[in-house]
Amino acid sequence: MDLAFTPEEQAFREEIRGWVKANLPADIAHKVHNALRLSRDDMQRWAKILGKKGWLGWGWPKEFGGPGWNAVQRHLFEEECALAGAPRVVPFGPVMVAPVIMAFGNKAQQERFLPGIASGDVWWSQGYSEPGSGSDLASVKCRAERQGDKYIVNGQKTWTTLGQYGEWIFCLVRTSSEGKPQTGISFLLIDMKSPGVSVRPIKLLDGECEVNEVWFDNVEVPAENLVGEENKGWTYAKYLLGHERTNIADVNRTKRELERLKRIAKAEGVWDDLRFRDQIALLEVDVVALEMMVLRVLSAEKSGKSSLDIAGLLKIKGSEIQQRYSELMMLAAGPYSLPFIEEAMEAGWQGDFPGGVNANAPLASTYFNMRKTTIYGGSNEVQRNIVAQTVLG
Amino acid sequence: MDFDFSDDQSALREAVQKWVEKAYTFDRHTAIVAAGGFDRAAYNELAELGLAGLYVSEDDGGMGMGPIEGMVVMEELGRGIVLEPLAQTLITSGVLGGYAPAELKAAWLPRMASGEALVVLAHQERKARYQLDVCTTTATQAGSGWTLSGTKNVVPAADLADAFVVPAMALGKLALFLVERTAPGVSTRGHHTQDGGRAGDLTLKDAAAQLITTDGLTALEHGVDIGIAATCAEAVGVMDKTVAITVEYMNTRKQFGVAIASFQALRHRVADMKMQLELARSMSYYASLKLNAPAAERRAAMARAKVQLGTSMRFVGQQAVQLHGGIGVTDEYIVSHYFKKLTQLEMSFGDTLHHLGEVSSRMQDTAGVFA
Repeated sequence: MDLAFTPEEQAFREEIRGWVKANLPADIAHKVHNALRLSRDDMQRWAKILGKKGWLGWGWPKEFGGPGWNAVQRHLFEEECALAGAPRVVPFGPVMVAPVIMAFGNKAQQERFLPGIASGDVWWSQGYSEPGSGSDLASVKCRAERQGDKYIVNGQKTWTTLGQYGEWIFCLVRTSSEGKPQTGISFLLIDMKSPGVSVRPIKLLDGECEVNEVWFDNVEVPAENLVGEENKGWTYAKYLLGHERTNIADVNRTKRELERLKRIAKAEGVWDDLRFRDQIALLEVDVVALEMMVLRVLSAEKSGKSSLDIAGLLKIKGSEIQQRYSELMMLAAGPYSLPFIEEAMEAGWQGDFPGGVNANAPLASTYFNMRKTTIYGGSNEVQRNIVAQTVLG
Repeated sequence: MDFDFSDDQSALREAVQKWVEKAYTFDRHTAIVAAGGFDRAAYNELAELGLAGLYVSEDDGGMGMGPIEGMVVMEELGRGIVLEPLAQTLITSGVLGGYAPAELKAAWLPRMASGEALVVLAHQERKARYQLDVCTTTATQAGSGWTLSGTKNVVPAADLADAFVVPAMALGKLALFLVERTAPGVSTRGHHTQDGGRAGDLTLKDAAAQLITTDGLTALEHGVDIGIAATCAEAVGVMDKTVAITVEYMNTRKQFGVAIASFQALRHRVADMKMQLELARSMSYYASLKLNAPAAERRAAMARAKVQLGTSMRFVGQQAVQLHGGIGVTDEYIVSHYFKKLTQLEMSFGDTLHHLGEVSSRMQDTAGVFA
């Protein structure tokens, strides 16, 4: 047992740190460090910088043009990006659909889709949830009917994150209503510019349009866009959900935000209020415990000697912590988190936020936004079902 | 960064596990509690396995092992709610080995390693609560030696131990001494503890003592940190078994015609127990991995670990009793004894609130395992 990273891992970290420092645009890092609004261009600019270096698909094996890093190296890369203030990579292309295409797609699909994902040129969206299918994902109704060499898709997807920017979308569609619900689902890649696709942004409680509804009205999809076999989509979806297990805990970003919480608490004068500071101390213990849990999973993956079935725990704890730090940031500002001024959440705003501290402007918005974390990716109640299943049978 | 156990560590774990399963049954546990809460024969069996010499150097007749071996052993003892205080031996052998003059080491460490001498830490005073620098026991130089006067409470196995490591004020500064139980001026009064184990008062009236170190606070803090890491590991073992006992019960107990393990309200509670257990295990690893770090870093790590372990112990213990229903609050059934052990461990070497204060006052601008 050893807590320290190896000299090789340390050197790897230094290499990443140096590169990120030299290549992450300062204006983007400024927005991230201050929770200011990121534009589509900000996100895509960073994705393309990574893509040019060959690191947008940082989890990819070498045979598909990735760096071929192990679990620890991937973690160190994510950590250095997060601490430097890089925006979170929109995961739907490089982290979600790409591994499915690599594992289950045919060679033609791999050659057609992977380069655009690796470079950051093509924006992918995820078509999983439907109005009637949230936690019960296997109940999806969006239909794809085979007609000759194409599928005709009809139905609706929802909660499609950043779908307003999407160029392609990977969807779980129903191709059969026979047998168990899981056995009639297929995994289909759809060009969002196809006639019959329409997207409507949904305004959320923080005032932002982070998610969308997507409708499919007699959309023609070439049959060659089916990944793997028809009616086997559920297997691929589960593979996708099992991918990058430690990523969902988001512990690296959380460490950065805990540091920010401490700065806010000092600026607002509650750092010296022991009742408040003890709440930060509790969060600090939570973050260290979560990070230790993540490191245990990484170590097990690296050595291959032992397996740890605690991915569900990482999601539950990671999301609860994200909610807690955003809550404490808002509480630290107290009455000065009440003014809700949209322009003040844009970088470069020249106004005076009430009370004189502009950094307080996005705190309420972030708190509102973080309510999603215990709902998405399989709600925490569903995660508890999964954990209980592994413990109780 | 590597959390795998070596083959030797796994073999050590198996050896202790085998002893607990075969030799330290619940019946024996019950008999030891009834007989006063400490069984020298059981302690000697631990010593025969080499465990009393775990932190004693090979030159002094021990195994010369480190914190991870200590953690592995304590986890397994926790699994069997063993009453005999091996953690005390880890503490006192660590303190003597690290801070005592050569002749004191030579006189005690080989006998401690063999199990012949049980030496425990006697530091608790009425006004100190969990503070280590609050001490009213006094040390007076007498010829070439020292005499101590004062009272210590909740000293593990006080009336059955052979000697004590005792903090006392010498010339205005905290120093550490070794006091033999049979020395003139030493009296003890034994009692049970919450978990069925044994402790007692130690009263010193001009009792003869040998100086371990004049840098007493440094040594005491180190000793207590060895105790915290051991307690964390022990607690993980206790919780691991507590969850297992609860799971087994829920899958056999039927109400409304079905196993109670089928009820979602209860299943989610078990998921939360598993969460607390794994967070605790992670922080127990953290504590043991930081036990040899520089003092400030080590102290901060122990405080963080004990906050998590304390929180986890309280939750897992209380929920285990609750999920058992009526049988959970009986003395006859095993789970209440695990609950009581967890309750006691939470309050050993500083409770959750105490250590939260330590974390709070030590917080830096940075955050995380490596900060």
